[in-house]
Amino acid sequence: MSAANDKQLQELLAHPSVWRGRSRAAVETLPTGFAALDAGLPGGGWPRHGLVEILTPRSGVGELYLLLPVLAALSRSTPARWCTWVSPPHEPFAPALQAHGVALDRMLIVRTHLPLWAHEQALRSGACEMALAWLPRASPRAIRRLQLAAEQGRALGVLYRSQRFAHLASPAMLRVLLEPLNEGGRHGARLRLLKSRGGSREPIDITWTAAAA
Amino acid sequence: MPSVLRVRPASPPPKGPPKGPGQQAALGLEPRELWVAAHVPQLPLLALRMADHAASLARPMAKPLAKPMAKPLIVVDPEHNQRVIDADQEARAAGVRIGMTLGAAFAAAPGIDARPRDPVREQQLMQRLAGIAAAFTPQVSIEPPDGLLLEIRPSINLFGGLRELCRRLRDACRADPVLSQIRAAPHFTLAPTALAALVAARAGARCFITDATVLPARLKPLPLAALRWPEEQNARLTAMGVRTLGELVRLPRAGFARRFGPGMLADLDRLLGHRPDPRARLVRRERYRGVRDFDHELEDHERILQALAPLLDELEHFLRVRQRGITALQCRFHHYRAAPTCCTLRLAAPEASAERFTNLLRERLATLALPEPVRRCELRGGALTHRTATSRPLWSPGERGHASAGEMPALVEHLRARLGTAAVYGIGCVPEHRPEHAWCVAEPKMGTRKIGTSLFNDEPRTGSASLSPLNRDVPIFRVPIFRPLWLLEAPQPLEAQRGRPRHDGPLELLAGPERIESGWWDGADIQRDYYVASDRYGARLWIYRECAGTKQWFLHGICG
Repeated sequence: MSAANDKQLQELLAHPSVWRGRSRAAVETLPTGFAALDAGLPGGGWPRHGLVEILTPRSGVGELYLLLPVLAALSRSTPARWCTWVSPPHEPFAPALQAHGVALDRMLIVRTHLPLWAHEQALRSGACEMALAWLPRASPRAIRRLQLAAEQGRALGVLYRSQRFAHLASPAMLRVLLEPLNEGGRHGARLRLLKSRGGSREPIDITWTAAAA
Repeated sequence: MPSVLRVRPASPPPKGPPKGPGQQAALGLEPRELWVAAHVPQLPLLALRMADHAASLARPMAKPLAKPMAKPLIVVDPEHNQRVIDADQEARAAGVRIGMTLGAAFAAAPGIDARPRDPVREQQLMQRLAGIAAAFTPQVSIEPPDGLLLEIRPSINLFGGLRELCRRLRDACRADPVLSQIRAAPHFTLAPTALAALVAARAGARCFITDATVLPARLKPLPLAALRWPEEQNARLTAMGVRTLGELVRLPRAGFARRFGPGMLADLDRLLGHRPDPRARLVRRERYRGVRDFDHELEDHERILQALAPLLDELEHFLRVRQRGITALQCRFHHYRAAPTCCTLRLAAPEASAERFTNLLRERLATLALPEPVRRCELRGGALTHRTATSRPLWSPGERGHASAGEMPALVEHLRARLGTAAVYGIGCVPEHRPEHAWCVAEPKMGTRKIGTSLFNDEPRTGSASLSPLNRDVPIFRVPIFRPLWLLEAPQPLEAQRGRPRHDGPLELLAGPERIESGWWDGADIQRDYYVASDRYGARLWIYRECAGTKQWFLHGICG
């Protein structure tokens, strides 16, 4: 192998759409706001466009705190697009969101009996920076559609699902299992990357210091 | 004292136009304004014909019985002592004259048909004419009852010259289906002042003057009555031997003002262009309305949309030529037996694109249950609103931080078309201590945010130290204290065991209490002690205990 050939090969492999098992994919990312998580995620943050699945044992264990920094950053970027909430379980409490630095004028709440359709429309439209959805059930086919829609609309899609679905295969780009962590007055969460393109295999512990002061 | 004073301004204008017409053309100087006036002769008669025409359209099957039995028609004014104000050719031939009493007219021609004038129809006819004229210039005004004025100077280049513009205007009037049906033939004139054009049109004179200097000479032979001054003033002038405008402008200026008042002198100044004569622009409230009968009954949504495509294209053209958009579109489907099905599209931002309307209608039709096949469809546009055209962006949305203005309202409309208006909303803060009143549902904000607006309210701003805290646009009620990210729609009662609240097991109180006691003035007063609690799975909850009464525990929020 000549050196020129090797260089060409390296260039080819550096292309963002090429991903090899052990390598970290070169994707555009957003900092998560948690240093430990940034270090563990491929590319050093949440993917800029793509679908992230967050699995929790129950609601209220910090699944929203996890995304607050990125929600605040995206909603306050200068030509900000919508941050859409598709069928959230309760009402997002505006004063708390504002206190955490989220720009409320970019929040769009959608209450619907067709959450899959609404989520896909939001992701595909190109009008959303980010779209969060709470889905009771979603087939791998539907998740694949959402993943494609997020890539097409250049949006960060987030899918909240129950931990029960952790063992099922999913076409989402990144799957995160979140468990609450309460040790010695420390309020935080333990994250496991069930699926990632080159992320950490070890559990990542984070603390909600900034978010839940 | 000079014996004869020409009517002209007290002091000559500082920069009068050069005298000769040839010289003016050489210098390229042109008058500032050019007015086209249209006078509709026999307007009361035409208005009645238009009413007949509309009635015959409403009953297309009925045979036109009226034609062979048509009698000579006269129009009388019920407010003016039943005088004859208009008569058709047959009636005139039979000896009826304008201004006769009704009795005299019947005596002259016993078989005539006399009808009262219809001012509403007359106005509608003028509005229709104004609508045609509005395609040529925005400055259109109606001179009641039967005149129309257009300022066309700014439109000349657009339509390829003055003659071409006038020809097109005349052709557009001839091509109008209603005007041609009732044989309306407006008389057009052109002059540098509005009043001169109008007077010439009323007099029925040929007038195509672009040069202000020849205006007085050309107006000379026109009759005095064309000015439409009050009858008694005309009579006084006639008694003085003044019959034409030429004789009128030769009267001494001071004496004229003393005898007839400054108002009439001002009219003369306006006529000759010595005094500005601004006219109020006619603002028309117009809506789009289109109807289409289908060849056969349609049931399939896609087929209905296909059949609607020509109407939507027409709507787009209608809006584009006016540079307007609509925010509401009503679509009415008519069936054979069942009552018409109605669906209304509401748009978040003014829109004019047929493609967008089609997409929204498709979503809307998907949720619409049609009781029977559709035979006919009707589209009605809402009020026209200003629409700023946007150019297509170079980047796709999201790329390089780019957001184009069009996508954000489009998403809201798209979701609302299918899910209903109330299902899609924004949220806002309310300065209130009670948690359930501290937030509100808000209409999503469509506009793109400008760079440098005060977004970062809660960050201390440098240089604003001189402002008192109340004057700054930071919210007065900020949340330095803990609030949960989720609020339950209604507080959920919790069980308690020996004073300890339980929710799927015992709850551990982590922080609190925070006393919130407020709202005595509107009947929804609360007295609560809020705590942050952790359940046995590690989820953080926001719970409270009533301070008064039963001391019941409630779950009110979830931390995140």
